[in-house]
Amino acid sequence: MMRLPWKRTDRGRGSQTSEFEEQALPLLPSLYNLAYWLSRNAADAEDLVQETFLKALRGFATFEPGTNFKAWIFRILRNTYLTSRSGLAAKRTVSWEDEWGEHSEPGPTPYPEGAIDRQTPEMNLIRMGDRAALQNAMEQLPPPLLEVILLCDVEEMKYKEIAMALDIPIGTVMSRIARARASIRRALEVEVEAAREVNL
Amino acid sequence: MTDHLPASILSALADGELSADQLATANQHLSQCPSCTKIALHHSLLKSATGKAGQRFSPAPDFHVRLTKQIRGDSTLQGLSHRDAARPTMRVSRSYGWAIAITALLLLGGIFFVQYSRNRSATGSTRDAALAVEICDLHIAMLAANTTPEVISSDRHTVKPWFQGKLPFSFNLPDNLPSDITLDGANLTYIQDRPTAQLLYSIGKHRVSVYLQQRTSERTSGELPQEYSGFHIVAFSTSQILGIAVSDVDAARLSDLAGRIDQAQTENAGTPK
Repeated sequence: MMRLPWKRTDRGRGSQTSEFEEQALPLLPSLYNLAYWLSRNAADAEDLVQETFLKALRGFATFEPGTNFKAWIFRILRNTYLTSRSGLAAKRTVSWEDEWGEHSEPGPTPYPEGAIDRQTPEMNLIRMGDRAALQNAMEQLPPPLLEVILLCDVEEMKYKEIAMALDIPIGTVMSRIARARASIRRALEVEVEAAREVNL
Repeated sequence: MTDHLPASILSALADGELSADQLATANQHLSQCPSCTKIALHHSLLKSATGKAGQRFSPAPDFHVRLTKQIRGDSTLQGLSHRDAARPTMRVSRSYGWAIAITALLLLGGIFFVQYSRNRSATGSTRDAALAVEICDLHIAMLAANTTPEVISSDRHTVKPWFQGKLPFSFNLPDNLPSDITLDGANLTYIQDRPTAQLLYSIGKHRVSVYLQQRTSERTSGELPQEYSGFHIVAFSTSQILGIAVSDVDAARLSDLAGRIDQAQTENAGTPK
């Protein structure tokens, strides 16, 4: 339900806090999971989520009821991460935006045929439910690819919501997801090859 | 066929993000291109697997409490100052104080119990749903890969001994199955990181996977959804074994097969098969 801006300011502090709690607290496990994947340790993940919640609470008066709260709060988490110690460190070591040579226009990114793996021994690993191998492969992803695959596959967010949360065009979401999956497949292949060599 | 579908389209197909036009074009291509069909299926399986593997970290139990306290910080501060101001005028008798303490204790106990029950049932249903997804994924992967089973035999005296030393339990297989039900073989697989026998049956032209796993205290039959993604799921358990059958065959026929396997565990107990 849309509320007019001057009516939104009528929300009392108490009711605003409880409204915020109702919407934000169920997302705590999801936000923490993403925060941990990005920051790679529990203490930083807690700090990140805590800061996200406080920023979101402070800015809750500006949130338009009826719009996508999940995308909104994930965007705050992502921006908080980018300015955090671990986020800045990651930014120094991996390239984030244009260096990826991404197409910002919507629509499919043409890939050379060789980029698509048509022999997929790594599927054996997936079939066996080798969670550890997959998690290893995901850990190797740079943050821009990791966050997009987590939002898509774990949080089951639509491309439009991911674009909103990450503040990037839908075309970029699309190409990053394809890149992330290709990277995971490659990493799994490497694991399969390594296992084969050990067995030989 | 030289112009295969680009990776981004195959990814978007797995994510259900193609427009109607794109979907029509992709489907048309897939109907003629086994290579892209295979990759599309792999994308779907990878998506499902990363979805599960990505759910990795949970906040500490007290983090929720700490965070809630922090959110309510301002209101709590206001509440405290209010209480402090009122304190000099309060004259609470000892018995009244005890009554408050007992009420608070009961209230806390009640809240704890409700929260505990809610968490327990939520965790249970999430675990059951995850198990249903995993067994269906394994079944679909088996159908898609179309590879030969690790042990190929319609003879239960060949299939059962093959698992010796591979599983931490033993099981029996039913004899005298109806003529249209055949044992095709079996695989050793892992469900929720635990070794599991995947018995492969055919009922007419329908393929059936029956998973047998050692039963644990936290998992019994009858909690799983009975259907997932169009596949029927039938679970049964004995004191030692948890069995789950999955197939797209008629639910009654699947239940019949599951019932026979269930029965074989008790009927043939102690009889070497």
